[in-house]
Amino acid sequence: MANTTIQARTKVGARQKKKADYNAISPLWNTLFNILIGLFAFSCVFPFLFVIIISLTDEQTLVLEGFNLFPSKFSFAAYEYIANSGKSLLTSFGVTVVITVVGTVLCLVLVTTYAYAVSRKGFEFRGFFSFLAFFTMLFSGGMVPGYIVMTQFLHLQNTLWSLILPLSLSAFSIIVMRTFFQTTIPDEIIESAKIDGAGDILTFIRIVLPVSLPGIATIGLFASLGYWNDWFNALLYYNNPERIPPLQFMLMQIEKNMDFLSKNAHNIGSYDAIANLPTETVRMAMVVLATLPIVMAYPFFQRYFVQGLTVGSVKG
Amino acid sequence: MNKSKSKKVSLLSLTLILLLSVVLAGCGAKENNEAAKESEAIKSDGTVDISKLDPVNLKMYLIGPNQKDLPKVQEEINKYLKDKINTTLSISMIDWGDYSQRMQVITSSGEDYDIAFTSSWAFDYLPNASKGVFMPLNDLLDNYGQGIKEVLDPRFLEGTKVNGVNYGVPANKELAQQFVWRFNKKYVDKYNLDISNVTTLEDLEPLLKVIKDNETADITPLAVPKGFKPFMPFDFLLGDELPIGMYLDTKDYKFVNILESPELKSALSTMRNYYKAGYVREDVATLDGIDNIKTGKWLVDREITQPYAELGWSRNAGYDIVTRPMQDPVIYTSSAAGSMLAISSYSKNPERSMMFLNLLNTDKYLRNLIQYGIEGEHYKKLEGDYIEDLPAMQERYAMPGFALGNMFLTSLHDGDPEDKWSSFEEFNASGVVAPTFGFNFDTSKVKTEVASVTNVAKEFIPSLYTGSVDPDEYLPKAIQKFKDAGIDKVLAEAQKQFDEWKATQK
Amino acid sequence: MNVFWKKLLRNKGLLLLVLPGTVWFLVFAYLPMFGSVLAFKDFRIHRDGFFASVLNSKWMGFKNFEYLFTTNDAYIITRNTILYNLALIILGLVISVTFAIILSELVNKKMAKIYQTGMFLPHFLSWVIISYFAFTFLSTDKGTLNQIISYFGGEPIMWYTEQKYWPFILIFVGIWKGVGYNSVIYLASITGIDKSYYEAAVIDGATKWKQIRYITIPLLKPLMIILTILAIGGIFRSDFGLFYQLPKDSGALYPVTNVIDTFVYRGLINMGDIGMSTAAGLYQSMVGLILILITNYIVRKIEKDHAIF
Repeated sequence: MANTTIQARTKVGARQKKKADYNAISPLWNTLFNILIGLFAFSCVFPFLFVIIISLTDEQTLVLEGFNLFPSKFSFAAYEYIANSGKSLLTSFGVTVVITVVGTVLCLVLVTTYAYAVSRKGFEFRGFFSFLAFFTMLFSGGMVPGYIVMTQFLHLQNTLWSLILPLSLSAFSIIVMRTFFQTTIPDEIIESAKIDGAGDILTFIRIVLPVSLPGIATIGLFASLGYWNDWFNALLYYNNPERIPPLQFMLMQIEKNMDFLSKNAHNIGSYDAIANLPTETVRMAMVVLATLPIVMAYPFFQRYFVQGLTVGSVKG
Repeated sequence: MNKSKSKKVSLLSLTLILLLSVVLAGCGAKENNEAAKESEAIKSDGTVDISKLDPVNLKMYLIGPNQKDLPKVQEEINKYLKDKINTTLSISMIDWGDYSQRMQVITSSGEDYDIAFTSSWAFDYLPNASKGVFMPLNDLLDNYGQGIKEVLDPRFLEGTKVNGVNYGVPANKELAQQFVWRFNKKYVDKYNLDISNVTTLEDLEPLLKVIKDNETADITPLAVPKGFKPFMPFDFLLGDELPIGMYLDTKDYKFVNILESPELKSALSTMRNYYKAGYVREDVATLDGIDNIKTGKWLVDREITQPYAELGWSRNAGYDIVTRPMQDPVIYTSSAAGSMLAISSYSKNPERSMMFLNLLNTDKYLRNLIQYGIEGEHYKKLEGDYIEDLPAMQERYAMPGFALGNMFLTSLHDGDPEDKWSSFEEFNASGVVAPTFGFNFDTSKVKTEVASVTNVAKEFIPSLYTGSVDPDEYLPKAIQKFKDAGIDKVLAEAQKQFDEWKATQK
Repeated sequence: MNVFWKKLLRNKGLLLLVLPGTVWFLVFAYLPMFGSVLAFKDFRIHRDGFFASVLNSKWMGFKNFEYLFTTNDAYIITRNTILYNLALIILGLVISVTFAIILSELVNKKMAKIYQTGMFLPHFLSWVIISYFAFTFLSTDKGTLNQIISYFGGEPIMWYTEQKYWPFILIFVGIWKGVGYNSVIYLASITGIDKSYYEAAVIDGATKWKQIRYITIPLLKPLMIILTILAIGGIFRSDFGLFYQLPKDSGALYPVTNVIDTFVYRGLINMGDIGMSTAAGLYQSMVGLILILITNYIVRKIEKDHAIF
């Protein structure tokens, strides 16, 4: 197994070099494209840099000067506040990582199996199961029935499963994956596998999966982003004070609380709730902490998208 | 082709029917736990004989952020309750911003719990009471809640009746509502401003002008966000966001469209002048909140007061704040429903829930325990009825005191005047009852119109009321759009219900 | 029946593969779908739980749907929803595909990786934060744009009350936030293209442009079609934050920012009426289904292989 990967790599490397020789875009276009994409990418990174700067601005300075790229006084107070808030944030981070990893794996299993089956022209229930999946993209029963299924039938509230299961399959991913299978995997290999006597499941695992890495990476990326960013399921299903919710939930809760309290301050009156809320700088620091790890993980998925590393085994 | 399609459909519906039957079977027979012989446990002198009570656990939802020490305090509470009424309590906190949404899902799904926080502004009392979310309390109050009836100003219970039925136990706190102008004393002193005659919006003009002319542009003379409304002498039907109300000094008891009133017209043109003169922030119409208290760069804003509110405001701000009232204290229907605890209609133990609520409103030890936590750990007892918060309170047990029943039982903090709660009682006594007090509008017949009118209000009210747009042009536009949205139908329905209600109130 | 069983047996391998997914769909998607009946009910709570509540609530026909149509805002919100979504779908498609192709062609793969990571960042920022950020540009007194305008001697613009700029701002920001995310799908698909096609083309002397025109784009076409069909199904829904947070809920901008989702939100937030909100969702779903069926039908007529079903 390890041997074949190495072989594939060297082959890829060789091809890349060869290709660079005579099928690269001209230097002029390359420069122009670099500028275009570079500017756009910068416009995307810039707000994030801004968020980092705000998180490092001194609180009082922020109140008086407003958002400023070059604040007159920096401070690490926000990060200190988070560090001192004890174990819960770290645990919360751990919860996010666990549901993201487990959920993504589960999602990949469910999506690829389903998508492969409905991508096969020979599958006689293909239309039915395609529609079964697709229909769920349009209609949903709303929050309350979903809540009842989770809490009264499955009794999964306050468990990690209540955060994992609702996102572990998406019809969108199935349809994207199905298109991948249809366009990138030639029927001939599957047919030849069949002639060799392999069943559908064996063909799928041995032949199809290894050549579908770019597609799998895309679906995996989307699934992990979905899990990483999810806060809504925690809102619905976590109500035990001892369960630590995921990071994004904490972040979202702070935002919603600020909004709610600023609108209802006069109702709450004597209780000084607003003073207890984390400050603007702390919120921004939380955004940074909630975003950086997943952004760092991005290149891991990305290696499958970079041109050159492809379907070696199809032809091999 | 056709055949395969119909087969598809039938296969799908077959699966669905199968599933449905499983579902219905799974949740069919639910036991209807009839009320135990709880009433036997109440002795003739009103005390409880716990030997006659079976042990019961009550599930309670409260608003506010989760507190780390809640399990610890809960254990302490349960020890006490066990002796008193053979009951234990499981409290779940749901954070401010999530509370309404979360409670709606919980109640719609039929999850059984016993007690929940409700109010006119979060997990809204009125629509939920009329939907049947809460249990009628009148009999329970008579049998198990006598203590509540004794301590509460009777107008609390009067104002929260829906069609003559009480669905919640209001917390004893400020009952009357009074808007004030708050002034930043620093600038009042600096320019020797005379605020003693300020009542109306117009009275502010000379003061605002002084600040605008003499201070730098970053000082906001009238520091208000988009929620600002000039004071209007009306009793609002559905909150001050919707322009429907009855004159506070009404003679004919008719609801009117406030946008068509001369009072509003003149207030709007004043605001427009203030806006043009730069007395308010230019972006006021999109400003959710304003951090004037933090920055200290303001002269005047608007707030709802309560006895000794200046003390608290000044303490929080770190500088002196003084106030002037805009109106006399008025008791509205909504102000009576500012904070309540209701018993769920799913509750299997409504009697016991009421016994607990009765204790919460009459038992000083329990009441302080649930709000301040454990003595020596979360607070320190001082002389008299005073306490001092220990750091642990802020870190691990900061509970929203206003949502936990009778506030008048709670201990005072250093700096609080000794007569704090008695001045609350005086304040409540001084309040005048609004003309529609006790009338709760059932919107279900006009909910289409109410939804449309709400949408129009969100479009026009902030920009009009803050002076951001020219009222001569936009007021007629707004009036027309409200009419198109069906405001007249809402007015007519409200009037009809009000007249019927009024006829019963003799 | 016998025929049916035989058919099942014939497909047993593939049926086994769809089984886990099917179970998930039945439990988490189809089972809760019964909640849709609430759209036609006047929901009241019954002591015996949710199902008793549903059964005991009165039917009320289409009354819960009425508020979507009674005011003359109905036209505005429908127009806004459809036009904005069309613009976002079409521009989003063109720009995402263009960016994906450019990224795949850049000579320096390391830079391509960096750009791509950067383009992904807006996806992580909530609309609240993006609206703060937009505010630093658009604020009337301190905003960057107005500072530039007054530097060149122009009159400052009240961005949050001037309707005419918002269609551009909304579309621009909507595209900006989504492009990095969407181009990933196309990039992965380009990666999946068999390189021998290009090698053959190069030997035949095809230019880069011709390779893109005759190899890359045709091979991306199935994906482009599918994603567009799916997007069209969602045309009656919109990205709530884009239309609510970004314009700071400014009333003066409603005529150009109000879409069905914001309209429903504003009307129902205080009432919390489960029947009316279910009705709104059901209405959006129905329109989506009809649009998808039409689009799918057209695609099927033209190119049978690329239709979804």
